[in-house]
Amino acid sequence: MNRFKRIVLWAALVALMLLALLSIYGAFLGAERAQAFFTSLPLAFYWFALTALLMAGIVAFRRLGRVPSLLLMHIGCILVLLGAMWGSNGGHAIARKLFGIDKIPQGQMGILEQTQENRVVFTDSNSNRELPFFVRLKDFRMEYYRPGSLLVQSRSGQNWRLRAEAGQTLSLGDELGTVTIRRVFENFRIDIKGDNPVAYDEPGGSNPALEVSSERPGAAPGKRYVFERMPGHGNPNDPLSMNYSRMVRDYVSELEVVKNGQVVAAKDIEVNHPLHYGGYHFFQHSYGEDKLGEYTVLMVVSDSGLSLVYGGYMMLVAGVFWHFWGRRARAAVQSRRTMTRDLVGQHE
Amino acid sequence: MAVKYTVQGLLIYITIAAYVLAFVTMIAGRRKAGQALFVTGFLTATVSFIYRWYDVRHVPLQNLFEVFLFLGMACYPISWVCRRVLRIGGQWADTLIGAIVLFPAGFVFNAEPMPLPPALQSWLFAPHVAVYMLAYIFMAKAAFQAAGEFAARKPGAEPAWLPPEQATYELVVIGFPLLTLGLVLGSWWGKLAWGNYWGWDPKELWSLASWLVYLGYFHWRYMFGRKHPHINSFWAILGMIAIIITLLWVNLSRLFPGLHSYAT
Repeated sequence: MNRFKRIVLWAALVALMLLALLSIYGAFLGAERAQAFFTSLPLAFYWFALTALLMAGIVAFRRLGRVPSLLLMHIGCILVLLGAMWGSNGGHAIARKLFGIDKIPQGQMGILEQTQENRVVFTDSNSNRELPFFVRLKDFRMEYYRPGSLLVQSRSGQNWRLRAEAGQTLSLGDELGTVTIRRVFENFRIDIKGDNPVAYDEPGGSNPALEVSSERPGAAPGKRYVFERMPGHGNPNDPLSMNYSRMVRDYVSELEVVKNGQVVAAKDIEVNHPLHYGGYHFFQHSYGEDKLGEYTVLMVVSDSGLSLVYGGYMMLVAGVFWHFWGRRARAAVQSRRTMTRDLVGQHE
Repeated sequence: MAVKYTVQGLLIYITIAAYVLAFVTMIAGRRKAGQALFVTGFLTATVSFIYRWYDVRHVPLQNLFEVFLFLGMACYPISWVCRRVLRIGGQWADTLIGAIVLFPAGFVFNAEPMPLPPALQSWLFAPHVAVYMLAYIFMAKAAFQAAGEFAARKPGAEPAWLPPEQATYELVVIGFPLLTLGLVLGSWWGKLAWGNYWGWDPKELWSLASWLVYLGYFHWRYMFGRKHPHINSFWAILGMIAIIITLLWVNLSRLFPGLHSYAT
């Protein structure tokens, strides 16, 4: 091995271990501070140096050219690094200055139901910029796993969980008696009819609640309503506190992209299923409700550099499997064939 | 630490008992009986995994309990591949690894079934986790072989098996592509679920560090070959330490809050 090759290999080893140590350091910082650290100026030099080193490796080691799997791995890593740099804030600034490509790297977008929006807010600076098209929210909804669950807690800290279905009963022992779910409401409403309050389910809205009865030795049977939206609500003198909860299965935003007054794209986005339009991905990020109604919060991310990163990933994975598994499997098959041929030859 | 008085718990305890008995029997030189016990343990672990799958109605790889159940099941097939295909011994250690990984599933981790949160409802969920877990078992075996390099009586001393340093290399060669695929699938999934293919989350950074250690191992071994078997082996042990931290410490410690917290 000549001196240049040795230097390149040692430099690669040092660069890899340095990155491993920096990763461990970054893990202690938490995601937000780690991101700031890894995208800082000194680290930008490191990323450039690592990319240059990989390129130098390809030039220095002819074996990389002769073994396509090794070449794939190294070029894959270079593409991932270039794609990541191109997709970073710095990459976007360079693209704007050099090529006039003016894209928003990343931000958030809050849209009220039945309205459209084109402003993307930068969460770190609270400033905003406009997209060249509007995104309209037709509807936002949350879907839940059924049934939910009723959590019953005694004052002494004991916990029980019950499936939130009508007829489900929980026995809490001699002192606390039993708890039974009588009715499940999607949208609880109550009216006074005559002198009596009458609870009913009104279609259309959302106010999930349970009607729960409890029977305790030496006490009159009781009835209470447990509301999902009012956790902890109840009589402080009651020996049992109850909470009704349902687990979210999905968040869905029905979106339309509007350009020059025309709907040019539409998709119901949910977690793991973003919308891709005009060089941006729109992800379901958050949601909320204020006096104007329900709104969704989308994360808007530029797709600059993404193809390079994905291309790099594919080359890296293909190269690694080809090199470590494929070549060995082929060698094993060949050696088995040779052994079989030898055995046949011996018999003949 | 608590005993699980459930069918699931019983299946786990039977598996642990079978694996421990297999270990003792193999150490005592009764290889065939040990192997039969190992197979019994594997079959029980498989029933336990399928039972859990039926119980939670999704691939049971959501939390540490389910992941360790999977690890306990995957030990035998990987051991079989190593013995039959790679000529790597140390089967008695595989029984021990099986018992060790099932112990926290049986006594420590919470087994309450939970529905999948929205982020985990992706086709990438099962392959990402499963590929990582398979890689981890290969790397654990590699670390064991590497430790054998330092031992007076080396595990591959029998002529039928590869010597420890070479066995370590063969195992890392099998595990590393899986580790790479796990990292890439996770990154792709992260992009779909959270918007970024790299979120600088503690778990991501520790898994990158593990991957880099093995990358360092290959470069080092390319530079020096088998000239320094102890240093080669040290790399593999270092990689396994990073993996243990990635798998356990990151999830269990409050030092590393992040996007992967649900995995606890």
